[in-house]
Amino acid sequence: MKNIVLIIILLVLISIKIYSQQKVIIKGKVIDKETKETIPGANVIEYDANDRVVNGTVTDANGNFVIELKNSSNIVKVSLIGYNTITIKPEVGKNILVELEASEIKIEEVTKIGKASKNPIGLTNISDRDKVTASIKMDLIEMKDAGVLSAADALQGKVSGLDILAASGDPGAGSHIVIRGMSSLGNNKPLIVIDGIPQADPPNYKDFQLSSATAEDIGNLLKIPVQDIKSIEILKDAAATSIYGSRGADGVLLIETYKGRLGKVKFDYNYKFSYNYQPPSIPMLNGDEYIMLQLEEWHNHYGVFQIPKEISYDKDDPDFYNYSANTDWVKAITKDAMTHEHYFSASGGGEKTRYYASVNYINEGGTTINTFSKRFSTRINLDYFLSSKLLFMVQFNYNNNFTRSNFYFADRDMTVRKMAYMKAPNMSIWEYDANGNPTGEYFTPINSYQGDGYTFFNPVAVANLGKNDRKANGIMNSFTLRYTFTDWINLRTTISYQFEGSKSNNFLPYNAVGTDWLAWTVNKAEESNNDNTTINTETQLNFSLPFKSNIHVVSGSLTWITEQNKGSWVNIQSNKIPTVEVKDPAIQAQINWIGNGSWESRALGAAANLNYILLDRYILQSMLRADAYSGFGENYRWGIFKGISFGWRFSNEPFLKNLKFLGESKIRGGWGVSGRRPWDSYARFATYNNSATGHYINNIGIIPTKIQLNNLRWETVTSYDLGIDLNLFKDKIYINGDIYKKITTDILFNRYKIPSSSGYDEMQFFNGGKLENKGWEIMFEYRIIQKSNIRWSINFNTSQNKNIFVDIPDNFNTERSTSIGNGEYPKRLVEGEPIGSFFGFRYLGVYPTDQDAYARDAYGNILYDNEGKPIPMIYKNYVFKGGDAKYEDINHDGRIDLNDVVYLGNSNPDWVGGFGTSFRFKNFDLSCSFHYRLGFDIVNGVAIETEGMNNKNNQSKAVLNRWRVQGQNEPGMLPRAYIDHPANNLGSDRYVEKGDYFRLLNIMLTYRFGKKICDKLNIDQMNLTLSARRLFTITNYSGQDPEVGFDASDPFWIGVDRAQTPPPKIITLSLSVSF
Amino acid sequence: MKNFAYISIILMFIISCNDWLELEPPQGLTRNEFWQSKEDVQAAVMGAYDAFARMDGKLFKYGELRADLIKGGNNQPDNERKIAEGNIYPDNELCRWLDFYKIINYCNEVIKFGPEVRSRDKTFSDFLLRSYLAEAYFLRGLSYFYLVRIFKDVPYITEPTYSDEVDVYKPKSNGDSILLQVINDLKMVREWATIDGYKTNKENKGRATKAAIDALLADINLWLFRYEECIKYIENIEKLIKYELMPTGLWLELFYPGAAVETIFEFSYSDMLGEKNSMFGLTGRYSYQYYPSQKSLELFAIDYNSREFTRGEDGSIKKYSKTEYVIWKYIGRIDKTERSGSDQNSAPFIIYRLADIYLMKAEALSQLGRYDEALRYINIVRERAKMPVLNLPESKIVFEDAIIEERAREFAFEGKRWFDLLRMGRRDNYNRKNTLIEILVKNVPATQKRIMTIRLSNPLGWYLPIHKDEIERNPNLIQNPFYKD
Repeated sequence: MKNIVLIIILLVLISIKIYSQQKVIIKGKVIDKETKETIPGANVIEYDANDRVVNGTVTDANGNFVIELKNSSNIVKVSLIGYNTITIKPEVGKNILVELEASEIKIEEVTKIGKASKNPIGLTNISDRDKVTASIKMDLIEMKDAGVLSAADALQGKVSGLDILAASGDPGAGSHIVIRGMSSLGNNKPLIVIDGIPQADPPNYKDFQLSSATAEDIGNLLKIPVQDIKSIEILKDAAATSIYGSRGADGVLLIETYKGRLGKVKFDYNYKFSYNYQPPSIPMLNGDEYIMLQLEEWHNHYGVFQIPKEISYDKDDPDFYNYSANTDWVKAITKDAMTHEHYFSASGGGEKTRYYASVNYINEGGTTINTFSKRFSTRINLDYFLSSKLLFMVQFNYNNNFTRSNFYFADRDMTVRKMAYMKAPNMSIWEYDANGNPTGEYFTPINSYQGDGYTFFNPVAVANLGKNDRKANGIMNSFTLRYTFTDWINLRTTISYQFEGSKSNNFLPYNAVGTDWLAWTVNKAEESNNDNTTINTETQLNFSLPFKSNIHVVSGSLTWITEQNKGSWVNIQSNKIPTVEVKDPAIQAQINWIGNGSWESRALGAAANLNYILLDRYILQSMLRADAYSGFGENYRWGIFKGISFGWRFSNEPFLKNLKFLGESKIRGGWGVSGRRPWDSYARFATYNNSATGHYINNIGIIPTKIQLNNLRWETVTSYDLGIDLNLFKDKIYINGDIYKKITTDILFNRYKIPSSSGYDEMQFFNGGKLENKGWEIMFEYRIIQKSNIRWSINFNTSQNKNIFVDIPDNFNTERSTSIGNGEYPKRLVEGEPIGSFFGFRYLGVYPTDQDAYARDAYGNILYDNEGKPIPMIYKNYVFKGGDAKYEDINHDGRIDLNDVVYLGNSNPDWVGGFGTSFRFKNFDLSCSFHYRLGFDIVNGVAIETEGMNNKNNQSKAVLNRWRVQGQNEPGMLPRAYIDHPANNLGSDRYVEKGDYFRLLNIMLTYRFGKKICDKLNIDQMNLTLSARRLFTITNYSGQDPEVGFDASDPFWIGVDRAQTPPPKIITLSLSVSF
Repeated sequence: MKNFAYISIILMFIISCNDWLELEPPQGLTRNEFWQSKEDVQAAVMGAYDAFARMDGKLFKYGELRADLIKGGNNQPDNERKIAEGNIYPDNELCRWLDFYKIINYCNEVIKFGPEVRSRDKTFSDFLLRSYLAEAYFLRGLSYFYLVRIFKDVPYITEPTYSDEVDVYKPKSNGDSILLQVINDLKMVREWATIDGYKTNKENKGRATKAAIDALLADINLWLFRYEECIKYIENIEKLIKYELMPTGLWLELFYPGAAVETIFEFSYSDMLGEKNSMFGLTGRYSYQYYPSQKSLELFAIDYNSREFTRGEDGSIKKYSKTEYVIWKYIGRIDKTERSGSDQNSAPFIIYRLADIYLMKAEALSQLGRYDEALRYINIVRERAKMPVLNLPESKIVFEDAIIEERAREFAFEGKRWFDLLRMGRRDNYNRKNTLIEILVKNVPATQKRIMTIRLSNPLGWYLPIHKDEIERNPNLIQNPFYKD
C-alpha cells in the first residue's frame, strides 16, 4: 500500500507542463452526405496525439464551425448522434466541407457492440466489446418519454433472465428484482452500482426483516429519474460479478448517468402528465345480496336462529339507515389519479470542464384515496481536466421523497384495501340519524354485526383520517481523481459518501375506527427516524500493456476497496393523545415505547482483473477478489471470490471472413464464485442483556441472549455460463443466448430454528444446504428496415429458470406449518423440489346431497362400518353433508387430514420474457413492448377471503352461484354458505390458479417536430409522446392482477395474492424540448 | 490536492490495520465484555432467578390444570382448557419447554464461565463463587425436577449453548437417571450454600439456601420413593430450627406480605419494582381465568359446619356470593380485603415451606411403616390450622389418602396437587392407578369422563407430549409413545 501513497504524493508534485503553442484556426461547414442539408449542432472536437480531447465546438444553425487548434499536429473529429464520426485533416485557411453519413447503428437501441471504452467505470478494465461474461447493457434513451417512473420500471420485460415485479401499485412502493431465479432464502437483492459507487444495503433498523424492507428499499434506491440514466448494465453470472465479491451473488446492476459533453450548453426540458387508473376490481356483493348470504349462512349452521338486528331490515332500529346501504367499499377507496413530472437538465462543457446538471420533480398520485408520493431530485456531474493527465470528477445527487400511504394495521397485516373487500356492504360510509339525515360523521360503530369497530373499521374513514407518512432525504456524492501516468497506465481514486435519512409518522385517530379514545390502539402516534451513512473508497490502478502490434492485448486493474456503513434509529410510540388534531407522539401523552439503536459495519476488499486478448479473437478474462467483513469472526473473515471466462470471436477468424452475412460474433464461457453476506454485522457475537425485569430482589439480573456464531460465513454462489453473441447480415439480426447453472452453497438461513433444549429458540444465522438454479435465456433482435426515413425492428426475449432445493440441512425444520384449517396451507420445503411450492388438498367440487358425502375406497365403492352403515367423510370431528366442499381423500380412510395433502403447484415461472417492436416513419415513432410470465401458480388469497362463505366478511359476486338445496348440482357451483364452517374453505387447489399472463406493457407514439418548426421556435428538438402502460393483460387469473404477490421474504410462502393495490394502468402525455 | 493526498494517506493507514474490522455491537454486552467481575456472576445468577420467577403462572398451570382443585373461567385459553380436559396434542403451547431450558442454559453459563472470573477479579473469593454455583445448581436441579415430572424423559444438558459449535441435537435421557444426577449435584453443592447469609430476609427466602437445597433433595427423593434419604434431608432442615410454622391467625401472611418464617424457598415479587407475578392476573376476581373447583369448595367445607377456618374462607378461598368464589391466596390480604395498588402482583410463589416438609416427612414415614411418627407430623399441620387431630388406622393407603387430602387443603393452588397425585399413582408400580383416575375424572365435564378414563389408563399419558416443533427440529428426539397416534 505504501507505494500507492508514494505515487499519489508524486502525482501532486508533478508540475503541469505547458506546451508552446502556435495559432491554427480552421473553418468549415457540416452537411448531410445524402440530403446535402446543413447540420447544426454537430460536435467538432480536437484530439491530441494521445486521443485526448483538447478543444471542441459545435456547428451553428447553418452548419458552420470555427475552431482554434492548440496544436497543428492534432486531429479533428466531427460527430453527431445518428451519423458516423469522421476525422478531418486540419487545413489552415481553407473552408472545409464535411459530409456526414447517417450511421446504421443507432444508439437508442440496445447497445450490443460498445466502443472500446478508455475509461471504464467499474472494477474491470475491459471494453464492452471484449467482455466475455454474461452481461447486458441497455441504453435508456427511448425510455425517456414513456410513462415509466423508475429504472426498474424501464427494465421490466426488456432483458432476458431478469424478473422484475412491482411490489405493489401504491405510489413509491418499489419493485422486486430477481436475476436468474431465486438463489437464496429471502436475501435476493442485486447489488446496485451507480456510476461505480456500490449502493448501501438497506438499513437494518428495528425489527428489520430483510424480507419486507428489501423490495421497497431496493426499489427506492433505483428511483433515480429515468432521464438521468444513460445506461444500465446487468451482470448476470458470477464470472462477472465475482469482482464485486461478497455482494455480487445476486447479480449486479451497473447504472451510468449522463455526463457533460464538450460543446455549447444544451438544455433539455421534459414534462409528463399521466393518468393512472386501476384495473377493474373483483365484483363484490351489494348490501342486499350480502344480507341474504348472511341469513343463509346462519340458517345452514343453526337452523332456527335469532336474526341480528343489523341484518334484519328493522325500520324501528335507529340505525336502520346505517345498515341498509349498498356500499361498494372497494370503489369508495379507489380513485383515478394523475401524475405530473418535470425534468430539466443542462449540460455542456469546454476544454477543461464538463457538466451535467438536472433537476426532477414528480408528483405521483395513488389509485387508493389519500395516497400519493412526491419526489424531488437533483444531480450534478462535473468533470474537470486539471491537466491532460489529471482528471477530477465530482458527482452530487440529492433526493427528497415524501410518501403518503394509508394507515396500516401492522399487528394483523391489515390494509385499507383488504378491509374494503371484507367490510359489510350494507353498512354506510357516512352516519345517518334515525330519520335518515346524514350527521356528517363517518359511520364507525363500536360494535356491529361483523364485530368490534377496531377490527372491522370503516376503510374510507381510516384512509382519510389515518396518517402514514414517510419522508426521506438522500445524498450521494463522490469525488474521483484520475491520473494518467503514461498512455498505458492510470490511477484512479474515488471516495463516495451516501446518506439516507428517513422519518415516518403514523397516527390513528379514534374517530377513524369504532373505539373509545382511551383504548391503547387509537389516538396512537408513532414516529421513527432512521439514518444510514455509507463511505466507500476505491483506489484502482489500470493498465494495458503497450505492445507494438495488436497480436497481444493485455490489460487489467488492481483495486483496493473499503466500505463503511453506519446507521441508527429512534422510535417513539405514544397513545391517549387528547385530540385527533395533534399527531405527534412527543406531546405529553402516555408514552408506550421508546427505542433506539445503532450499528456499523466495515469491509475491505482487494480485487485484481487481468484480460488477455490474442489476435483480437481469443479472449481470456479473469478476476480475483479477496473480501473481509467485520460481521465475521476471525475463522471466516476473509473470503476469496474468483471468476474466469473465455471468449472466441470466431467471426474474425480468417477462414470465416468469406461469410459475408456474419457480423462480429463470439462464443463465451465462464465460471465464477461470488458471495452473499448476512445483513446484521453483529450477528456473530454472544450478547448479554437485561433479564425480563432486569432485577431480582434488588440485584441486577443479566442473561445471555444470543449464541455466538463461530461458523458464520459467506453464502457462496458458484455459476457456470455458456453463451453466444451473434450479429448477422450487417447487424440486421442480433442474437444473444446463454445457458447457465447457479449453485448456492452455505445458504444463509435467517432465524434458523434449533431444538429449544439448547435454551434458545433459534440461531440468528446458519449456513447450510444447497440450492440450484438452472436455465437458459435468449434475446433476439431483427432490424427489418434501416433507412433514414423508415425504420422497423422487432425484438424478442425469453428465459427459463428451474430452481431446486438440492440439499436441505440435516436438522432443518422443513415443515413450517402443518395447519390445515380454513384458508391455511401447510408450508413445506422438500428436497429436490423448487422453493415456492404450494401444498394442500385437492378440491373436487361440492357434494350435491348428503348421501354423496360418504367415504369411498379406491374403486369408488362406499365404505360401510360393522353395523352396515355407510361411513361418512369427516374432517376432525365434522361430518360432511350435502353442499359441503369435497376434497380428495387420497388414502381413502374417510378422513380429510394431513395425509391427504398433496403438492399443488409452485410460484416460480417457467418462462419470463418480453417482445416488442419499434417503427419509425418520417417524424413518427411507434413502439410497443409486451411482457409475459408463464407457467407459475398463484394462491389467490383474495378469493380465499371472498369465496369462503363461512364468516361475516363480504364475498365476491362469484358466491351467487352457490349450493342452496339438496341435489343441486351445477357446474362451477360453490359450496353452501355456512357460518363458521370448519372445512368449506380449506387450503386447496380451489384457490391455486395459473398466473400466466401476457401484458401490453408499453405502447408509445412519438411525433418529432420538423426542423422548420424547431428553427422558428429557435430550439434544437421537440417531441410529443403519447404512451400507455399496462393497457391490457391477457390472463386467466381471476384475481385483480397476476403481477401482484411475489414477495420472496418467506421462502415457504411465495406467490400469494394478498390484495395489494395492483399496478395501475397509466396513460402519459409527454413533451420534451431541447435547446 | 494536498487535502486529497492527506485523506488518502490517512485512509491507507487506517485500512492497513486489521483491527479496523473488529467492531463490537454498541447495544448489549458481548461475552468478552461480560464475565469480568463477581458482580457479573451474581447478575447472571439473578437473571436465572428472574426468568424462573416469570414462570409462576406456568408452574401453577403445570401443577393444577390436570388436577381437580381449579376450574377454568370464560377467559381460559383454549390450549389450557384442552389440557384440563385431557385433550392433549403435541401442538399445545404448554408442551413447549423452552422456558425451562432457558433457565438451564443460564445456570450452565454460570457453572461454566463463573469459575473463570476468579482469575480476572481478585476480590472474588472461592467462598462467594461456590455460593453462586450452589444457587445455579439449585435452579438447574429444580428445572429438571419440573421437566421430569411434566415430560418424564427429557434431554439432559449440562453445558451452556455458548456457540454454534455446541451440539444442540441432544436425545432424551431417562427421567429417573436425570434426577439421580441432580441429587448428586445437589449433594455436592449443599455444603457451599449459605444458611442465612444473604443481606436481606427477602433474599434468604427468595434465593437458594442450604435448607432450600435440602428441601429439593427431600422432594426429589420422595418422588423416587427413596424414603430414608428423603427423611434424612428433612431432618437436616429440622435441625436448623430457623423455620417455624406460621401461627394460626397469621397463616395468610405466607402470601401477604410473604417472606414468612415458615417459608424455605419462594419466588419473590415486587410490584413496585416491576417484578410482577402473574398469579393476580390469573386468579383475580375479574380475570375469568381460574376459579376454585367444586372439589376445593368441598375440601374447605364451605357452607358446612365443619368448615376450615384458617385455610378455607378468607384463606385459600374468598366467597363473594353463593355462586362466586375466588382463589384468595394471591389476591387477598390478611384483613380480608383485596390487594390493591402496588401490592397487587407481589404475592410470592412458594416452592417449599415447613408445612410441606412436614407432610413430605409424614408421607415418607408412613410408607416406611412408621405410622406414629407420621401421624404426629400430619397433626402438627392440622393443629396449626385449628383442625381436629386425626387418628388413623395403621395402613399405608389410609395414610396416603389422608396426607394427600391434607396437602390439598394446605397447598391448594400452589402448583403441587397434580404432582402429589402423580406420586400416588406411580407408587408401588401403579398400584393405585384407578384411584388417581377416579379423582381426576370427577373434575371434568360429563362428556369427557369416559374418554378421560381411557386416556389416563396408560401412565405414559400422565406426562405431556413433547411439542411437535421440537420433534421436527431435533431428529434425535423420540415422542412419548402415548402421543404417537
